[in-house]
Amino acid sequence: MKFDILIAGVGGQGVVLASRLLATAAMDAGLHVTTAETIGMAQREGSVTSHVRIGDEVCGSLIPSGNADLVIGLEPAEAARNIHFLGMNGSIVVNEHAVMPSVNGSVKYDPDQVLEFLKSNCQDIISIDFTQLAKQAGTYRAANVAMLAAAAGADLIPFPPGDMWNVLEKMVPEKYRDVNRRAFDMALERVSGIKNPEQAIDI
Amino acid sequence: MTSKRILMGNEAIAFGAMKAGIQIASGYPGTPSTEVMETIASHANKYGIYAEWATNEKVALETAVGAAYSGANTMVTMKQVGLNVASDPLMSLSYIGIKGSLVILVSDDPGPHSSQTEQDTRAFGHFSNIPVLDPSTPQEAYDMTKLAFKLSHEMEIPVILRTTTRVSHGCADVITEDIYPVSRDIEGFVKDPRWTIFPKLTAQRHPWLEELQVRLSDRFSEYFQENSFNSISKGNSKIGIVASGVSYLYAKEAIKDHSETFSLFKVGTVHPFPEKAALEFLDHIKDLIVIEELDPYLEEQLLQLIGKHHLDVNVHGKKDGHFPVSGEYNVDVVIDGVNSSLKIINTDVPSLSHSSPAINKENVPPLPIRPPTLCAGCMHRTVFYAFKKAAGKLKAEKINTIFSGDIGCYTLGNAKPLNMVDTCLCMGAGISIAAGLSHTHDYQEGNKAKQVAFIGDSTFFHSGVAAIISAVYNNADITLAVLDNRTTAMTGHQPHPGIGLTATGVSTKIIDIADVLKSCGVDLVETIDADDLGECIDIAKRAMDFEGPSAVVFKGKCVGITKGDGQYVVDEDKCTRCRICVSQLGCPAIFSPSNKPPAIQDNCTGCGLCAQVCPSDAIVLKEDRQ
Repeated sequence: MKFDILIAGVGGQGVVLASRLLATAAMDAGLHVTTAETIGMAQREGSVTSHVRIGDEVCGSLIPSGNADLVIGLEPAEAARNIHFLGMNGSIVVNEHAVMPSVNGSVKYDPDQVLEFLKSNCQDIISIDFTQLAKQAGTYRAANVAMLAAAAGADLIPFPPGDMWNVLEKMVPEKYRDVNRRAFDMALERVSGIKNPEQAIDI
Repeated sequence: MTSKRILMGNEAIAFGAMKAGIQIASGYPGTPSTEVMETIASHANKYGIYAEWATNEKVALETAVGAAYSGANTMVTMKQVGLNVASDPLMSLSYIGIKGSLVILVSDDPGPHSSQTEQDTRAFGHFSNIPVLDPSTPQEAYDMTKLAFKLSHEMEIPVILRTTTRVSHGCADVITEDIYPVSRDIEGFVKDPRWTIFPKLTAQRHPWLEELQVRLSDRFSEYFQENSFNSISKGNSKIGIVASGVSYLYAKEAIKDHSETFSLFKVGTVHPFPEKAALEFLDHIKDLIVIEELDPYLEEQLLQLIGKHHLDVNVHGKKDGHFPVSGEYNVDVVIDGVNSSLKIINTDVPSLSHSSPAINKENVPPLPIRPPTLCAGCMHRTVFYAFKKAAGKLKAEKINTIFSGDIGCYTLGNAKPLNMVDTCLCMGAGISIAAGLSHTHDYQEGNKAKQVAFIGDSTFFHSGVAAIISAVYNNADITLAVLDNRTTAMTGHQPHPGIGLTATGVSTKIIDIADVLKSCGVDLVETIDADDLGECIDIAKRAMDFEGPSAVVFKGKCVGITKGDGQYVVDEDKCTRCRICVSQLGCPAIFSPSNKPPAIQDNCTGCGLCAQVCPSDAIVLKEDRQ
């Protein structure tokens, strides 16, 4: 068994937490896991990625290009920036909420154009404004958790939503648990029609 | 009992050290090494360990050396450039050795991701005659830390545990053992001439040190039979691969479809190089591919060995151009390097293939560039902007201003539109470089320039004090701006001597930066909160007008660890679309859609700088608006 997940976003969006949650879920499932995270200077509002590699064998933490089974993009441009990691039968979960750079330089960033590009090039894509969804749940900061819920609910990661939530419950501080639970459930609800969520969460 | 958990490589090292019975730990924060000390410090009370952040890496190493002379089990942690600062005690220490144990954790940063150099600590081990262990996974990092303590104690020498970013800042499932409170039973310092270095002692010890290198090399060769850090797997061709650290895993994955073809020599004890084991490995090899990040350290060791024994083996690596000499490696880089080598090797081994990406990167629409930048609401932005304004006033007096920066979050003041860092070299260099510049600019008519140096609070304690004393002593005409946000922010908010807390959270004396500056002889020392822009500009100008060394300590908070002060919004009726807030500040909370007024995003922390620069009072606190 081998499953590679590339998480991309902007510093501060919760990429590191998302990768820790997936890593813990993998370990709980009895698998080996390695991650590579961006920590340090680039975290200051820069483009960040986490590589999460799950499998029977220990391997290097960086995903080779064309190898990712899933790309989770917390921001459209960051998903597109790392799209060369996506493998032939891979899927994408992307947050439609764009983080606009303050100083755009000469590049004109059109998030709709980027999302359209991703959708037209990948059949298996879940594209939702997870930031908006998280805001409705109580805080825009829970977009990362909502995206993991969507990935689990649509059967795009090798753990069912119930297992994913158990990890979250363990790792998220108690005072943020309710808002994350709401974001988690709302995201599950949103993807319930997308794939057959047999392993519907046991509340 | 063992347990399995997700640990970052740095946490695994800390747990390995605690399992090995570490008693004293010192270090200075630096990416990617910081979490080792943070983890030890957070367990210090539980296990009875003494853990501290020192003011710099030299002080940290010397502190650990003192404790080790007493027979304590010690560790010191730093990043690769920190070892440069600690190199003075390090070079002498190898002659003297230690009692107890001393493990020096040094993290290298291929890329680099968050460093000013791409230096290789394996080379430092070679230079200083200190053994170097090079783990390839967090699990190995845990196990090797224990080995490092054991070796250090047994041989009475310091041992370097060297990691790279992908080992230190990667997480994995790691098996750890139960940890118990450490024994405080330390033998104590015993007076002995061996602890006092003198030319005569060095001359006596040098032959021992060289002979030790041979003994260690032999010992490391034996490890190929004894443990998994060093291993050999034999393939059915005459092509061999040598690798260490994470590169070993990249190599294994790159050749996974041809693993029976290549012989693989994995070395975790990289220095002194295990020559005997390598000679045995080379016995049936005709072509050798060396895969390693940073310096061609293994490649040089092997070339030397092959030359010494007149072996008929071709070596392929960085030196003949098959592998990149710089930057971080990954599986794709390794596949390209192996294929490039295979092309000139006389063999029928097919070339390795890359996985095909599902989507061609060439077709991706234009994407925004996101360089790292100061956080929304960072106090440094206010100070930089104040000096920019003050420098504008000096410019009217036909005096230029040169801004020397330093190492920390505020290095990001170089980004446009602030563009406030004209020089940056290494920790503490801003003050000395400004002083050097002042001695070249003060006498050239028409080329007059005022020198301003920016330094953060932690960096000031690290290496700013000696520099400011020298500047005062030599009457350098510089203005020092201390950016005091009361934390070591870039590395993840560690305490320092200006805060009143130690690494383990114990209250301690606050060392006041302004008092230090005064006692160093700086005649004009001002302290101000960095929130009122007008006042900051005035005080900056006053300090710059002062002849001789002057200093302003700007105090503020780090938005990374404090609650925001509300959020601002743009009153679209008042906004004249002048875009000053966008074009002057570079705040990541302000977004400027074309043909619309600027918008303030969720990450606003309410510093109010944009409201202060807005000429139309169009930026207001959200709560005032409602």
